[in-house]
Amino acid sequence: MNAEERDLQLYPIVPENLVANSKTISDLHSLSSSLLGIAAGILGLESYTGFLFYLLGTLFVSTLIVTFVMGGKPEVYSRGGWKDVIAADVTGGVMGFVLTWTLFFGLVRA
Amino acid sequence: MAQVVGQQILRDPALFYWILFPITIVMILTGVLRHYATLLLQSAPKPLEAKAIREQKNYLHGINLRTNANQIPLSSFTSRKNYLVQAFQSGSFLKDPDAKNKPPANPMSDPNGMDAMMNMMKGNMMMIVPQTVIMGWINAFFSGFVIMKLPFPLTIRFKSMLQSGVMTRDMDVRWVSSLSWYFLCLFGLKSVFTFILGNDNAADQTMAQVQQMNPQANTQQLFGPGQDPAKMYLAEAENLEVMVQHEFVLDGIEDRILARI
Repeated sequence: MNAEERDLQLYPIVPENLVANSKTISDLHSLSSSLLGIAAGILGLESYTGFLFYLLGTLFVSTLIVTFVMGGKPEVYSRGGWKDVIAADVTGGVMGFVLTWTLFFGLVRA
Repeated sequence: MAQVVGQQILRDPALFYWILFPITIVMILTGVLRHYATLLLQSAPKPLEAKAIREQKNYLHGINLRTNANQIPLSSFTSRKNYLVQAFQSGSFLKDPDAKNKPPANPMSDPNGMDAMMNMMKGNMMMIVPQTVIMGWINAFFSGFVIMKLPFPLTIRFKSMLQSGVMTRDMDVRWVSSLSWYFLCLFGLKSVFTFILGNDNAADQTMAQVQQMNPQANTQQLFGPGQDPAKMYLAEAENLEVMVQHEFVLDGIEDRILARI
């Protein structure tokens, strides 16, 4: 048994809890990505600026999750630590962002 | 001075109220409907007969013993292992021990397999029917309108898809017709459904496709149709036999606790 397996046996990780945690994170991300889309549409951002806005926005939300929801200790709640928080649900978030972005861009600007 | 101004098109604001909002509302309501229809159509898994349950639970017992072997002392593990290996090899937990050497039954004739297949069919219907109906509806009523401008540029290749029904050759690809708003809704409404229906909803189509891949996951049948339980028992007995490494987690627990204090 190598050291990593041994560690897992001595300090076991419950997979159900991990799944619940990542669900909470992806919920927060999908909500925030829709709201970011609304903001980007109202600001009238176009092409690269909009996607840059989304990236910065998700990074900001991730830092908020890590500092407030997880109390600054992400490795307690997910195996990959803060990387899991940022990478959670990126593709789904982008689609939600594009949807609300397009809608509000159309309503406000075009 | 030389600022390039994009194409400007003057549109009737009524387009928003009569095309954009109806499509969005219909898409959301279809998702909600699909969620509740899936809940209604899901037939509860049939209770299995006692011997089939015994067969499955003993198989799970073997797997659990193997994965959690380090939680019990070596003596307990060995006695359990000996008992299970002996029972697995003699086939005393099998549903019908006589069927050991027969070829596996045709999955079509197995009533349990039919049940699983019906469930899959229902899931497929729930996805395909609304999709075709809504696409037909949008094509019949709303084709030929330019309704909105995308906030990001696309390559010319998307023109035939996103401007279907609009026969204007020089128009910028950023102006799109109603069908593309339908596609945006199709992929982007997942987050909206998460607010309305909670995280485990059946409203989203991409989620439904993922679930189609493993229909086995939510049935209680452990042995899929066509799998021979006798062979799986033998394989599990072999797995238990070859497991030589055993390290009890409580070995050296005193030192670890003292080291942490």
